[in-house]
This record gives sequence, structure tokens and C-alpha cells, in this order.
Amino acid sequence: MALVHRKFVMSAILSRFARAYSTPVQEKDIRKSVFISQSKDIFTNLALEDWLYKNLDFTNHHVLMLWQNDPCVVIGRHQNPWLEANVPALGALTDQGVALARRNSGGGTVFHDQGNLNMTFFTSRNHYNRRYNLEVITRAIFREYGLKLEITPRDDLTLRNCKVSGTAAKLGRPSAYHHCTLLVNTNKVHLSEALQKSDVGIETNATKSTKSKILNLCEENPKIKVPALYKVVGWEYLRTHALSVKDGGMELANQQKGFQMVNPTEKWFPGIEEIRDNLQGWQWRFGKTPKFTISRSFTVPEHLISQDVPDDLKVTMVVEGGKISDVNLYVPPGLVANGFSGNVNVITSLIGHKFSEEALDNLEWSLGALGSDKDKFVTDCVKQVMQSV
Amino acid sequence: MVIHRFVRCVNNSTARQLIFNQCRKHAINRSIFTTPSFWAERLYTDKHEWVEVDGKTGKVGISQYAQEALGDVVYAQLPDVDTVLKQKDECGALESVKAASEVYSPISGKVVEKNTSVEETPSLINSSCYDKGWLFKIELSDTGELKSLMTETQYNEYLKTQEH
Repeated sequence: MALVHRKFVMSAILSRFARAYSTPVQEKDIRKSVFISQSKDIFTNLALEDWLYKNLDFTNHHVLMLWQNDPCVVIGRHQNPWLEANVPALGALTDQGVALARRNSGGGTVFHDQGNLNMTFFTSRNHYNRRYNLEVITRAIFREYGLKLEITPRDDLTLRNCKVSGTAAKLGRPSAYHHCTLLVNTNKVHLSEALQKSDVGIETNATKSTKSKILNLCEENPKIKVPALYKVVGWEYLRTHALSVKDGGMELANQQKGFQMVNPTEKWFPGIEEIRDNLQGWQWRFGKTPKFTISRSFTVPEHLISQDVPDDLKVTMVVEGGKISDVNLYVPPGLVANGFSGNVNVITSLIGHKFSEEALDNLEWSLGALGSDKDKFVTDCVKQVMQSV
Repeated sequence: MVIHRFVRCVNNSTARQLIFNQCRKHAINRSIFTTPSFWAERLYTDKHEWVEVDGKTGKVGISQYAQEALGDVVYAQLPDVDTVLKQKDECGALESVKAASEVYSPISGKVVEKNTSVEETPSLINSSCYDKGWLFKIELSDTGELKSLMTETQYNEYLKTQEH
């Protein structure tokens, strides 16, 4: 263990020197490794991914990381969790609850559990090639199971026009990675419940997910299991030439660095705990959400309104950096005339609070102190806006 | 011209880089003394960002080459005003077709403005990368760093070396 640890630190140091030179890399000089993460925790695995991206030099060394997670929803870097996931329901969906994570790469929201395999392809930015990676996967599946997956123009893998894999990438300098999922026997009920979202009236320019029909590979061939895929995809990767999708057979595979079990702990990867803490923190998961507004209208009950013309109460909330920055109420004239005191202190006190739990707690507390039915109604509407997501 | 031809003859890439750098320095020095409008020129990094300097302020964006390589930009994450950046620091990200591409600051300084139009309409980066699609403005802390950047002519030459 100590040996491996030293090896990682050494290569991290070496990489800094290596980056100073930029001689063109020949395909024959590139060696490949397959890393298998021993963690099933989404935050630890995302931290491992980030650690490798930041610390390894991929100029002459391409790496495929294979990993699995306990049930979780993973949103893209610039997405809105309240728009993409069933946030209030996640905790009770499975015994241990479904975690919500934000990754560093772009793209849309995915659901992971033990029936899903994740693959991360690390290269230098110059050798980043999503098509190459997807072809390696499709060739692996075809070689072992005789099953043909299609690669769509959006770089999804499909079978019978249903999506079996979602893709995303992060491009930096000097390194880049492309990661994708592969649905093998994921719990589809959990998946659809975790991602189920009714129209909650959110407006934003955050990246939106594209909804697709999905399929598990086991529905086509019940023999396909995730543990076997580690080997199937790993070997195919090792026997394929580094820059062109050309089979080099076992001869080439044996020249590679091979498989390595990786234990993503602080001892092996100094600094990984801090990365993990940041990924799990509120600031990254929710605070990073692009600015959005959420609006909803409520019918005012007849006994609260003085005139016959029915009118709606409209609540609009602006959320910046995950915190409420503004609340606007459209109060129908009938409600005002009938004694709504316009006590908006309750509403303005929400500003600056984290959306939505912290703000809800705050509202709950002040709701009890309100005397007037009208004030209670307005406050309750604001509460519902937040509870709906 | 003669120099370029000579550069192309040199196959050893380290030597080529050395010669290229020297030529670049000469070219920059020359333009400082002979071209009064030097500061209004766009300067480029090898990571395809550009900076246009006016006095102490630099306007930053990404090049046509980078814009084309990215494809349709759907989200722009820009550095907040008052962020202090060092040259080559990660300072934002542009998202296109499922990929988040890091943006690196071409120069050191303090961010004084970000292009909110680009935040609202990220496609401006595709349609107008040198004009309406600029990303942020920065108050330069070290104008000396500009010497490490390429002029447009040099950048175009550099692009040729990037194509295989």
C-alpha cells in the first residue's frame, strides 16, 4: 500500500515537469491503465476523478476509471437541482436515501445505483475523443455479448432507440476527461421517482436535461452483469490502440500497465478529503445553481375576498447563489380592500435565506405569530411555492 | 517570410519552439516601438483566449478557432467582479454539447466587469466572439505579461502548427 501511495505522489510531481515540454506524442509511446475504484460513495468517486484530473499527467498515459455508486442523482455542473430532481423525495426513496451530487462536467442529470457502471476516460486535452471512447464500449459489448449499441449524434449509446448511456465531459488544460454511464440493471422505479418533476414554474438559463426513454442492458440480455463488465470494458480498452480505434489484440493489452484497484483515501491521494468535502457541501451542490425565478399563482378563497370577481395571488421568488434574493407578491385588490394588512415583514425576512429548507423553517416559525387570516393565507402561499420543489 | 521558412525546416520541436519564441519576442519589441496602436490590438494565448488592452483595462474573450471547436455554447459561467486572477488561472467555464470547457485568464489582474449579455445569451460567443461575445474585463496588474502573448499574425501561424 505504501508503495502504491508513493507511486501516485511521484507521478504527480513528475507531471509538473513533464508539462513544461510539449513534444508531439506518438501513439506507440502511450500506455494505458484501468483504475477500479473501491468506493461506492458518489462524493468520494467524484473527488477521485477530480484528483486524478488535477494531479496526473496524461500525456503518455491514458486512464480509464471504472466506478459504481450507491443510489444517487448526479446533476450537471450548470444545472438547477430543484428543476432536475425530486429533491424533497430523495431522502425517503431507498433505505439509505438517494444522495444528490453536482459534478464538474457539463450535460444533464443522471441516476446511479449498483446496476449502473460509470466509466471515466482521462487523456490530455489534445487527445480528448468522445467517439473513440464510445466505440471502445460498443466494441466491448459486441465482442462479449454480440449486442450492437448505436452511437447517436448527441453521443448517447442507444439500443432499440432507447438510451442505455449518458455522456458528459470536462475540458481543461492540459487534461480532459469524458465520463459516461451504462445502464445494466438499474432500478427503473427509483430512477423515475428520483428524476420525476412536475412543472414547478422555474425560469432559468441553466442547462436543461433532455428526457429520453431508457433501457437496461439486462432487458436485452439477462446475462449482462456489472461485475463482468469491469473486465469486458477494461480489456477492450487495453487492447485498443491509444489514438485510433484499432484492435491490437492481447499482445497490445499485455504491453499496457493493466488493471489497478484504487482505494480513494487521503493516504493514497493527499488532498482528496478536502475535494470530497467541497463536493458534498451546500455551497457546491445548491449554492452553485444558476440564478432562477420561481412563480406560482393561487386562487384566493371566497371568504377572504370582498368582491365577486375572482382573482389570483401571484408569488414570484428570485434565487441567486442558492439564496432568496427577492420576493414579489401580486396581491389582488379584493384581498387588500378586505383587510390584508400588507404585513410583508414575514416575506422580506426570507431574503438572504437558503432556498428552500432554511427559508421554510423561518416561515414556519413566523406563521404561528400571525393573527389575520389574510396574512396567514399569503404566507402559506409563499410556503407552498417552496414546498412544491 | 525567410524566418518562417527557416522555422518550418527545423524538425526538432524544442529547437523550433526556441526559435519561434525568439522571433516572437523580436516581433513584439518591434511593434511596441513602431506601432502606436499596439495596445488596441488583440493578443492571444496558446489556449485560444484573446485580450484587447485599452490603458490599464483588458477585455477578454475566446478566439474564432476556440468558438468553432466548442460548438453551440449553452451556458457561460463568468468570473464575478472583484475576483483577483493570476495569469493562466481557471476563471470560468463554457458549456457546449455536454462538455464544460474551462476558461483561463490570459493575464493577471482584478475583474472589473463581466458581460451579462453573454450570461443571458451564451450563443453570442458563437455569433460574435470578438465583439458582442466578450467574456469579462480585467484591470491589469502586470502589463509586462502581455509580452508572453501572441499577436494576431503569430497566433494564426500557431494555429497552423495545431492542425495535423
